Amino acid sequence: MLEIVLQNLDLVIFLALMVIGYTAGSIAEKRHYASIEQRERELLRLMLVNASGSYPDGRVKSAFLVSGSAVISVDYFKRFLAMLRNLFGGRVRAYESLLDRSRREAILRMKEEARAKGAVMIMNMRLETSTIGTSDTSKNGIGCVETLAYGTAVVLNPQ
Amino acid sequence: MKFTPRELPANVNVPKTHPLAELAWLIGGLAALGVGLFLVLGLVTDLIVAKLPPAAEAWLGRQMIGQLAATENQALELRLNALLQALPADAPLRRQQFTVYLLDTNEINAVALPGGHILVFSGLLAQARSENELAMVLAHELGHYQHRDHVRQFGRGLAVSLAAMLIFGQESQVSETAVKLFMTIDSRYSRQQETAADLWGLELLTARFGHAGGATDFYRRMAQTAGSRIPYVVASHPHPDARIAELEQSIAQHAYPLGAVLPLGSDLPRK
Repeated sequence: MLEIVLQNLDLVIFLALMVIGYTAGSIAEKRHYASIEQRERELLRLMLVNASGSYPDGRVKSAFLVSGSAVISVDYFKRFLAMLRNLFGGRVRAYESLLDRSRREAILRMKEEARAKGAVMIMNMRLETSTIGTSDTSKNGIGCVETLAYGTAVVLNPQ
Repeated sequence: MKFTPRELPANVNVPKTHPLAELAWLIGGLAALGVGLFLVLGLVTDLIVAKLPPAAEAWLGRQMIGQLAATENQALELRLNALLQALPADAPLRRQQFTVYLLDTNEINAVALPGGHILVFSGLLAQARSENELAMVLAHELGHYQHRDHVRQFGRGLAVSLAAMLIFGQESQVSETAVKLFMTIDSRYSRQQETAADLWGLELLTARFGHAGGATDFYRRMAQTAGSRIPYVVASHPHPDARIAELEQSIAQHAYPLGAVLPLGSDLPRK
């Protein structure tokens, strides 16, 4: 038995990494989504728009930049799925939830900052995404995606 | 403008497919590709076996013999030539160039390589007791050439190696590596191929010596050490007993006479 394991050590390590990647990745994702959904409900009333708006004179007490960013890493299992996808093409479903999580997490962090500073609204919200850990020259880096959300938080004068 | 906070009912950005289901689909696709490639290579190999030009066969033979520490052996070559002389004048094998090599290993085997290179393992030579049984072994290998098994034995490895040769050229390192990796010498023939080579060899042996004496001697000695027949159900080679039976049946069928065997010549290198 031990002999078989030692002879196919590569395969054993691969399978172990796949199992670890899948279980750890699934648990992390499930928890993260639960947290995201709960916080999104809490912050629902904080207005968030892409548009640049304007208020009548004297209405705005202060306006400032708020930002939030989140970095989410890919797990071994998802990376393997994406690698197979490279062969056949199509939606890289394994990565889509990672991007979704990092976008929503970044927005939530931005909103949390705005709320802490007493803002009721964020205008002109923008999202930027970048990969870290990988580049064209090094293919074996750690694949992470960073999403940055930023916008103008507005604190209103009491009416 | 009025702002109405609203929760999103569903998220189109997150796929509903279970990741394990996707994994199964992708791996299934990969497996299907592999099976497809395997089948195509099989078809290509069949085509190659029938149409392989002598120049390509010679190249393969050179590549393979170059990897082995085998030495050309004049004494064995003399015996092979005597067998070839016994063939009819218009036999295709007489137009081919054969070289017999001796490979220093205890294994009891002989191999027919592409390009007319016949490998005799010194373990086999140490076992042989008579000129006739040695001739039977050589005639058996010639039988493989006659049936083009020497090309077919490599199966799909052949298609891969030749593709490498065509793409990268004869002198390329890549082609050499392909031959090393995919053309492994284990001389696995099917039972039908072995039996066909045996029967063809028997005919040649009889033509050479005028009788079929010693044809089964070698297998008889193998049978003593071979043991149970059970592992041979899955083995590529038939059990020696089965080969002896086939040979004896053929001897009886053709009414080949059985004469006395010649002792081995002293010119053979034996350990």
